[in-house]
Amino acid sequence: MLEADVEVDRRDFSVRASLTVAQGERLALFGPSGAGKTTLLEAIAGLAAPRRGRIALAGRVLTSTGKPQIALPPWQRRVGLLRQDPGLFPHLSVRDNLLYARLRRAGRADLGELAEVTDVLGIAGLLAAMPARLSGGQAHRVALGRLLLAHCDALLFDEPYTGLDAGLRRTLTDLVVSLVAQRRVPSILVAHELAETQAFADRIAVLDQGQILQIGTPSDVVLRPKVRRVAELVGYTGFVPVPGFAKIVAGVHPDRVTSGRYPERGLVLEGTVTGGRPSGALWEITIHAAGATIVARLPEAAPAGLELALTVLDPPCFSPDGMAVGIGEWAGAPR
Amino acid sequence: MAASQVTVTSPAPGRGGPGGAAVPRGLRYANRSLALTGTGIIWIALLGPVIALVTHLSWHAITSSLSAPGAFDPLILSVESGAVTLGVLLLLGTPLAWALARGALPFPRVWEAGVLASMLLPPLVIGLLLVFMVGPYTPIGHVLADLHLSATDTFLALVIAQVYESAPYYVLGAQAAFSSVDPRLEEQAALLGDPPRRAFRRVSVPLAAPGLAVALTIAWARAMGAFGAVVIIAYHPTALPLQIWTTLQETGLPSALPFALVLLVVALPLPIAAYIWSARARGRRRG
Repeated sequence: MLEADVEVDRRDFSVRASLTVAQGERLALFGPSGAGKTTLLEAIAGLAAPRRGRIALAGRVLTSTGKPQIALPPWQRRVGLLRQDPGLFPHLSVRDNLLYARLRRAGRADLGELAEVTDVLGIAGLLAAMPARLSGGQAHRVALGRLLLAHCDALLFDEPYTGLDAGLRRTLTDLVVSLVAQRRVPSILVAHELAETQAFADRIAVLDQGQILQIGTPSDVVLRPKVRRVAELVGYTGFVPVPGFAKIVAGVHPDRVTSGRYPERGLVLEGTVTGGRPSGALWEITIHAAGATIVARLPEAAPAGLELALTVLDPPCFSPDGMAVGIGEWAGAPR
Repeated sequence: MAASQVTVTSPAPGRGGPGGAAVPRGLRYANRSLALTGTGIIWIALLGPVIALVTHLSWHAITSSLSAPGAFDPLILSVESGAVTLGVLLLLGTPLAWALARGALPFPRVWEAGVLASMLLPPLVIGLLLVFMVGPYTPIGHVLADLHLSATDTFLALVIAQVYESAPYYVLGAQAAFSSVDPRLEEQAALLGDPPRRAFRRVSVPLAAPGLAVALTIAWARAMGAFGAVVIIAYHPTALPLQIWTTLQETGLPSALPFALVLLVVALPLPIAAYIWSARARGRRRG
C-alpha cells in the first residue's frame, strides 16, 4: 500500500494532497498542465522534498517531516518512475538496460525472469540492440521491462506515452494495466487527457492548483463531479440555468446531449443552431439555448438557424458557490 | 483545388537546405570555392610547422643526436612526470569538472574564472608566480622542506609546473563532457537503486568517457610540451622541451630538431588515438 499525505512547495503555489493506493490498485492523477501532478510523483519518488507530510510504501516510511525525521534518498525507495522520455542508458544494450538494477552477474533465475518479461513485452528479439536503434514504442517497452525487473514496490507513470500515436498508446496502456495487476503493486499515472486516465485507472484523482478536488471512479468523476471546477476539467463546456431553481446551473457535456425531448432523462432545452463542424464521426454543433452557448456532439449535422429541442442527459447541477447539488435521479431533479 | 497548384522547385544537385534555390548558380560555385580555398589555407598553415620539421630532418642528424649517451633520459623523465600529472588531474580535476557541469558549486562563475585564469596567464608568468608560491622561502616551501621535499628544480617542481599548464584544458574539456550527459539519466539510475557514486561510475563516466578521453589527452600533450613554467621552477631535471631548448642554445637548430620530432612522436599519438576511440564509442552508441 502507498500512502502519501504531503505538502510540497512550488514556486507559485504549494501542492497539498492526501491519497492512498492499495496493492495492485491503479490511481490516475488528472488535471491541467501545471496543476502539480508531476510534483506529487516526484515527492513520492524522492526527487522533490515535501515541506510537510508523510509517505509510506509497503510498510516502510519513505518520508516523514515529523519525529523522527525521515527522508530516504531515491535509490533506497524502490519506487519506479517512467516519464515521457524512456530514459534508456544510451551506452548499454537493451539487455544491459533491462538488467541494470541487477548488480551481480545475471544468474539463471535472473535470465529466466528476463526471458519472461521480454516475452510479455514483445522485445525478446531486441536484446542485443542499442537504444538509439529503437522506435519510440520499443524504447518504452524496454523502459517498462527495466522497471519490472527492478522489482519496484510502486510504479509511477508521468505522462509516459504522450507523443506516441493513439493505437500504440492504447496497446502500451493495456500492457501496463495487465502487468500492474499481475505484480500487485500500487501504481499512479499522471495524465492531462481524461480518456487516457480512464483507460488506465481504477480511481481518478482530479488535481487543480495543487489541490485534489475529487477522487472517484472513472465514471464518477465525469458523471458526478462534486464541484463545478471538476466539471469544467472533465469536459463540461456549458452551464445553463435550470428552470424553476434560482441560481442553480446544469453542466452540459457535449457527449451527453441528445436531440429530442426526454424530460424523464434530463434537462430539456430549446435553442437555435449557430454553427457546426465535423468532430470524429460526429458533428460538433454550437447552439444558443437558455441564454448560453452550448456545444453538443450529435450524429447528424444541423444547419445554422435551425430550431432544435435537446435533452441534456442527467446533468450535474451546481449552486452559485460551485458545489454540486441534487445529484442523482434526474426525473424532477434538482431537489 | 489549392493543394494541386503548389509548385515544387527542385533544389540544384548537391545542394539542399532552405534558401538554396534563391542564389544564382554561378555565385554559389564562387562562394563554395572561396570557402574551400580558405579552409585549405588555414589547414596547411596550421600543419606547416610539422611539414617543415619533416622536410628539414636528415637521417644523419637524427642518429647522431639520439645516439649520444643519455639522449633519451629527458624523454623518460617527461613521460614519467606526464603520467603523474595525468594522475593528479584525474584525481583532482574530475570532481571539479563534474561539480562545474552540474552547477553543484556556489558562485559557479567564480570557480570557472579560477580555472580559466591558469589558462589565460602566460606560462612564463605562472612559473614566476610559482616561485613566490612554492619556492623554498615560502610557507608552502617550509612545509615541503619539513617533509624533505622541495618544489624547485625537482621532479615535484616539474609535475607542479605541468599541472598548472595542463589542468585547465582537462577541467574545461571534462566539464563539457559531463554537461553533455542528461541529468535525467543519472536520476533514472538513482531510481533504479544506484547511490550517487555508483550512478557516477555506471552512467556519468561511461557517457562522458569519449569527451573525457579527448580532454585528458589534450592535457597530456600540454603537459609534455610544458615549457614556460617549467623553465623557471624546474630547469633541472631536464625534461624534453628543455632539452630541445638547451640543445638549440648550445649546438644550434639542426641538432635540436630530432628532439622536437621525439616530442611530437611521444605527445601526439595519444590524443589521436583518443580521438579515434571516442569517435568509435559514439558510433557504437548510435548502434
